[in-house]
Amino acid sequence: MKQENQKKKNKYLSWLDERYNLSGLLEFAKKKSVPKFRETIWYYFGGVALLLFVVQVISGILLLMYYKGTEDLAYESVKFISTKVSFGWLIRSVHSWSANLMVLSVFIHMFSVYFLKGFRKPRELTWYTGFGLLAMSMAFGFSGYLLPWNELAFFATKVGTDIVGQVPLIGEPILKLLRGGDDVTGATLSRFFGFHVAIFPGIFVILLTLHLLMIQRQGIAEPEEYQKLPDNEKKTIPFFPNFAMRELLIWLIVINVLAILAVFFPWELGTKANPFSSAPVGIRPEWYFLFMFQVFKFLPGEILFLPGEMVGVLLFGIGIALWAIVPVWDKKTAKGNKNTLLTYVGIFVIIFIIVFTILGYILD
Amino acid sequence: MKNKIKNILFAVLFLTFYSNLLIAQADDQCFKCHLDMDDAKASLYKTDIHHLKGISCSGCHGGDATSDDMDVAMSKEKGFIGVPSRSDRYQVCINCHADADKMKRLGSNIPTNQYEKLKASIHFQPSFDNQGPMADCITCHSVHDIKNVKDPLSKVYPTKIVELCGSCHSSAEFMKHYNPALPVDQVAKYKTSVHGNLNEKGNPDAAECASCHGSHEIQPVKDSRSLVYATNIPSVCSNCHSDTKLMAKYKIPTDQYKNYVQSVHGIALLEKGDLSSPSCNDCHGNHGAVPPGVESISKVCGTCHVLNMELFEQSPHKKAFDEHNYPECESCHGNHLVKPATDDMVGMQKPAVCVQCHSVDKNKKGFIVAGEMKILIDSLKNKDSVTTRILNDANQKGMDVSDATFSLKDVRQVLIQSRTTIHAFNLDKFKEQIGEGFTIINKAEITGQDAIDEFYFRRIGLGISTILVTLLVIGLYIKLKKVEKKS
Repeated sequence: MKQENQKKKNKYLSWLDERYNLSGLLEFAKKKSVPKFRETIWYYFGGVALLLFVVQVISGILLLMYYKGTEDLAYESVKFISTKVSFGWLIRSVHSWSANLMVLSVFIHMFSVYFLKGFRKPRELTWYTGFGLLAMSMAFGFSGYLLPWNELAFFATKVGTDIVGQVPLIGEPILKLLRGGDDVTGATLSRFFGFHVAIFPGIFVILLTLHLLMIQRQGIAEPEEYQKLPDNEKKTIPFFPNFAMRELLIWLIVINVLAILAVFFPWELGTKANPFSSAPVGIRPEWYFLFMFQVFKFLPGEILFLPGEMVGVLLFGIGIALWAIVPVWDKKTAKGNKNTLLTYVGIFVIIFIIVFTILGYILD
Repeated sequence: MKNKIKNILFAVLFLTFYSNLLIAQADDQCFKCHLDMDDAKASLYKTDIHHLKGISCSGCHGGDATSDDMDVAMSKEKGFIGVPSRSDRYQVCINCHADADKMKRLGSNIPTNQYEKLKASIHFQPSFDNQGPMADCITCHSVHDIKNVKDPLSKVYPTKIVELCGSCHSSAEFMKHYNPALPVDQVAKYKTSVHGNLNEKGNPDAAECASCHGSHEIQPVKDSRSLVYATNIPSVCSNCHSDTKLMAKYKIPTDQYKNYVQSVHGIALLEKGDLSSPSCNDCHGNHGAVPPGVESISKVCGTCHVLNMELFEQSPHKKAFDEHNYPECESCHGNHLVKPATDDMVGMQKPAVCVQCHSVDKNKKGFIVAGEMKILIDSLKNKDSVTTRILNDANQKGMDVSDATFSLKDVRQVLIQSRTTIHAFNLDKFKEQIGEGFTIINKAEITGQDAIDEFYFRRIGLGISTILVTLLVIGLYIKLKKVEKKS
């Protein structure tokens, strides 16, 4: 009986192989392995982010069936989804929660790659595409936040785009481009909707494809300490099926967590945005922008001869740019030396983000 | 003995004052001379209160009243001013009437704040031809023949004042200069009123213009300082109508004000400041005030409670009330002490008002209709509170039931409309009206219940899916361990 089943399986495989030449791929998969050491856990977060992106795409497409991206109907359509559409409440809640978990996973993935120095030669381009994916995830979050057209999102978008307007020289044109005018209006909503469902997914898929292709082509990065080990001490996990099964295990746990969050903490809709009302108390952006928002709150009106916010934008801009091009300026790691300063910078950035995010919630 | 001394002292004082007065009058050369000249004004002045008080012509016109030489008496050096101008003539009056010391010296105890009151009143606004105030002292009190206000010959005596006020206020030609929208039929209406009838018969007790509007302090009706401003009217009317001594003469009860202030109308007007709530004049009329007759009560109440009146007039009660000469609205709601209508007023158990006429007989139509109306109202109210609880419960569970919660407002509206429909005393009509409420509330109740069910469905669904995924995780883990052991 068992032999018969095996025969059937081989029959199907050879049918597919005959048409699609799968044997090469299978050979490649069999050879693929992942370094096994005490930090292996961090390797899973890229996969978790990928899973959550897939959840985003599926739930987003389902939401698109009812969502209407106009000033008059956006809020009502989201309310309709949450109250009238079968399982609409679940889809919306899953979409919102998975968006946040995805940004969190991408952040963890980025910091793990940073601390394990996964960005060094020859994986510079993987780092750049990864950084682009983080930026796109945050852009997804920023544009999606406005779509329910509720009061909090409306004013948070107003404040957020105001900050963009502080970028020297190009700030004002970018502000108008984002808002579709001088103020946040229905035109901004239409624009954000377009960005969120068409432009950003297109860019994201291109970056993601490149990112994954590079990983497959170059294999998973080995950390410095692991690399220095003699070959007989290097432990690996076969990618198929061991690592894939472990990844699947984590995915299932993530799905469980996502379901619990969506059911027990459904995403609130709040009240409809009224552009003529005064800004409500407690406006704040999504948590991943909160540290920047809080820093801007602390900045004085003027620093030297420049507006405080402009200085903030410049400093953040420089800091993010330096972070993005770390493979360029980190010469020490590239030469195979240990760069402890880089580790300290990373720790400082994490503490900075955590402290200012907490302050953003406490000092609200 | 003590009283005797008192009387003697009073007589001495009176004689002293009177003899001084006679001497003063004898020395008034202006008066003497003008009287000799057959001057009509001097003849009038003979009975003027001021002349009787020993005030010479020079008191107002200036000059020297002791000189019989016309050139001296009427010289500018002696302060002669001639006929005071239209715009300033009130100054002559207030020289004394606004000076408490002078008035005291002249032996008068009348108030000296008339000018202050007049200055702030509507009448002291500039006249349309800019000749001075619209009305000043002389306009009402006249000149040279001014009498004590208690003197029936006074122009402002209660039985004369109506004509006096009417001399301006009944003239459309004159009033259009100031307020073309102001009616000019007040006197005509007043004459049709109980007050007007008594006044015409010479009864000074009857309320006239000044009794309600005041005298020197008159303000426009819409000015909250006016005595006849909506919130002030009840107390103005009660000045007389709560006076047991005065009202006893006319056999009129004096509890109207006491009742009114406790009524739904009185509380709305006086405590809540709701100016749309009726005051005395809204039911009784103002200038033409009369108690509304039995047959016109529903019309009077119907000026505000329009629907109730219309429904009542089509109802079987209309005919029955007319036959028995029952006051319509008043029979159930009372008059001055109208209490907020409660649902307990309907039904066949006290305090329902239906039992006042209908016998408690289960086979009688009145009993059936009243009883069923009461049951339906109570049922809807009960259902409203139950559904509210269900919706609150769903809301607390985080379910969105805002539409259903909002629809409860319509139920309360239906309840109000049903209470109005009671006045048709038609069970079918009432059932049709209140039925709308039951339709809405049943839908809201189902929505609330569905939301609660949905809440538990989500929890159960989550539980099942979590168990399934966890089983899958465990299975996968076991499989993984096997695979890893093998490799």
